[in-house]
Amino acid sequence: MSAATKTPALAAASLAPPKLELRGICKSFPGVRALNDVSFSIWPGETHMLLGENGAGKSTLMKILCGAVSADSGEILYENRPTTIASPADARRLGIAVIFQEFSLVPHLDIAHNIFLGRAPRGRLPGAIDRARLYADTRRVLDMIGFDIDPRESVHRLGVAQQQMVEIAKALSQKARILVMDEPTASLSDRESERLFAMMARLKADGVAIVYISHRMAEVFALGDRITVLRDGKRVRSLMPHEATPDELVRLMVGRTVDMTYPRRFRAPGATMLEVRGLSAASGVAGVDLTVREGEIVGLCGLVGSGRTEVARAIFGADKVTSGEVRVFGRVHPGAPDGSTRLGMALIPESRKSEGLALIRTVGDNILLASLPSLFPSGLLRVGAGRDVALQIVKRLGIVATSLQQQVGMLSGGNQQKVVIGKWLAAKARLFIFDEPTRGIDIGAKAQIFAVIDELVAAGAGVLMISSEQAEIVHVCDRAYVMRGKRIVGELGRAELSEENIVRLGMHQ
Amino acid sequence: MTALALPGRLRAPGLLLMLAVMLGGFAFATRDFTTPGNLLNILLQSSVLLLIALPMTFVILTEGLDLSIGAVLSLCSVALAQTALATGSFMAALSVALLVGGLIGALNGGLVAYLRIPPFVATLGTLGVAQSLALIVTGGQSVTGLPDSVLFVYGGSVLGVRVPILLMIAAYALMHTLLYRTRFGSYVFALGGNREALTLAGVPWRRILVMVYVLAGAWAGLAGLLMAGRLNSGHPTAGIGMEFDAIAAVALGGTSFERGNGWLMGTLLGVLTIGILRNGLNLLAVSSALQVCCIGLLVILTFTLEAFRTQTP
Repeated sequence: MSAATKTPALAAASLAPPKLELRGICKSFPGVRALNDVSFSIWPGETHMLLGENGAGKSTLMKILCGAVSADSGEILYENRPTTIASPADARRLGIAVIFQEFSLVPHLDIAHNIFLGRAPRGRLPGAIDRARLYADTRRVLDMIGFDIDPRESVHRLGVAQQQMVEIAKALSQKARILVMDEPTASLSDRESERLFAMMARLKADGVAIVYISHRMAEVFALGDRITVLRDGKRVRSLMPHEATPDELVRLMVGRTVDMTYPRRFRAPGATMLEVRGLSAASGVAGVDLTVREGEIVGLCGLVGSGRTEVARAIFGADKVTSGEVRVFGRVHPGAPDGSTRLGMALIPESRKSEGLALIRTVGDNILLASLPSLFPSGLLRVGAGRDVALQIVKRLGIVATSLQQQVGMLSGGNQQKVVIGKWLAAKARLFIFDEPTRGIDIGAKAQIFAVIDELVAAGAGVLMISSEQAEIVHVCDRAYVMRGKRIVGELGRAELSEENIVRLGMHQ
Repeated sequence: MTALALPGRLRAPGLLLMLAVMLGGFAFATRDFTTPGNLLNILLQSSVLLLIALPMTFVILTEGLDLSIGAVLSLCSVALAQTALATGSFMAALSVALLVGGLIGALNGGLVAYLRIPPFVATLGTLGVAQSLALIVTGGQSVTGLPDSVLFVYGGSVLGVRVPILLMIAAYALMHTLLYRTRFGSYVFALGGNREALTLAGVPWRRILVMVYVLAGAWAGLAGLLMAGRLNSGHPTAGIGMEFDAIAAVALGGTSFERGNGWLMGTLLGVLTIGILRNGLNLLAVSSALQVCCIGLLVILTFTLEAFRTQTP
């Protein structure tokens, strides 16, 4: 399979056997086919760039490489010999080190103990650590990457960039022959990035194979010896940098495969409901301007980590706002979540399970959760009245549940999402912020959720919708704002709204 | 490591302030507080607490809790007393105490690490079991008539220094070394700070977590010996409420209940703070019921000071 699909250019370049070869790797999680027949080879002394949109399968591939998850099927060859990576220990034995974006560091241990966690040099007494060697070894690794810091410094005192350097040092200390990095420059300054690139060049000269995930086009072409594009869990193409232009890569990433038709009745928007001017927040988002009008679905897109959720939280008053103004229905937002609720604004968070729902409570309880004060101003519950309201919501949204008494945790993802929406409908919200409303929901339920959202705006609501799936934004939204690096970098009207434009704006050029 | 590398940055200014205020206040308010005999008393009275507060720090560093430690202490002290009476052997008695403590610790650790029962719940359950066992095996009575060897542990001296003081020094040195100088110690910080890091490093973290609770139980066994020596008997309810003092001492010492953020020296200071408070209140003839309230208020006050310090830039 792999040999057949390899492009001629690649085959010619690969006289030596690959250091590591994945053949026909498949991996499914409940409800998602994360990787579908992916083949992928890494040669020593090369940097292999891995490209793909959110959800293309990059992180699953990384997890398979580091032994955190096992593939359902497919073969892994190390220097042409079949092997298995069933655990992190296996990966380490093969010399594979992975640097995730979420760091695997222990905050209240010092740098040296972190780098050698589980591998600290043994002292004379059983269980003891040879501290002299520990700190000397650490010093040597830190010097290798030119990181001038006291190895005794506790990791929780370090900034993100410094923690990134510690992660890299940790990987190097394992004498890694295959180094996998997930957007390592995302949190580094230009100077720190330059130093990282210099170090990568040294490693390559030393024969180390590097797998590098990036969203920055400049890096892809400056660093990559080979590029593999993933989309929807499949490998689209592997190619050499000179074989493609940035625009072609974007097209490969986006593709035209996703077939989604969500019925949407577009109509002229009404009065402004939400007006955000120059909003900056402690979470890092800066200078955000946006508006949402009656009857509109406005998209907020960008790569994971571009600051979309932070914008939603700042607007809602869940994060501390440092400057700027949020007006809801013309009134200045007081800057606290309960103020939002009173103004008729609802935030429907990404993680329904942790933030939006009380899973062990019943459907009825959850629907009424946000409207208890308005329904029962005296504080005494009237069960009958509550049930009427909840039943009305269940009927209106088509929630499939055995009764109001069913536990929400037993419902499907799509129905859980409807319960969250119902909760805010019961509370008479008119401005909805959805953060990834369709994550973890199957295709059929997605269409239903969008039908509900469309109905909401048809009835005069306004919606701000965050989604990582560009196709959804393109199909569903009237307009969309694109974010990059915690700022809004562009607004796309209905006519310009395409996946290419979103990706082009959202990627670092 | 962390703690030692911070001479310039004071870890627990709130606690040190409280300690200074208390020392000054008691010295001023009572005649006997500063006499050498009383200062020795404070140390002696703190010895049992230190032996359980040190391992409690380990447990809390793993984002855990051991509510059973006081009851286990009681159970160990009566098991030790009965074994001492039956066999007359000090070593046999000590072994039984360590074994009983270690077994209940292993039960705690197993429940927490393998069955994923929240530490609060698991150790609340074993608290009940241990307390009940202590009452059943003694019929609710003290076990008296202990051999001199047991009494020596609290009352004796070696080279002119009282044995509990030596035990405190040895215990602190041992636990400090274990936490800051061994791989096990690093894993304790990592258990609370980032378990994923341990998984990725191939460390069997569940086994380490069980060991932390076993350690706590075994130290409660040793503390039971000290308690038996102090009370001149094995008493089935001697350890009641000791978990409160131990957790309070750890909290006072600036160990957080999250993310493996802690400081063993702080626990030592916390133990001494509670010892001083109890001693001073005794001298002022404050009832022991009210003393518990004072410890509670002290914890709240210290944390309020810390909150003000850290939240106002």
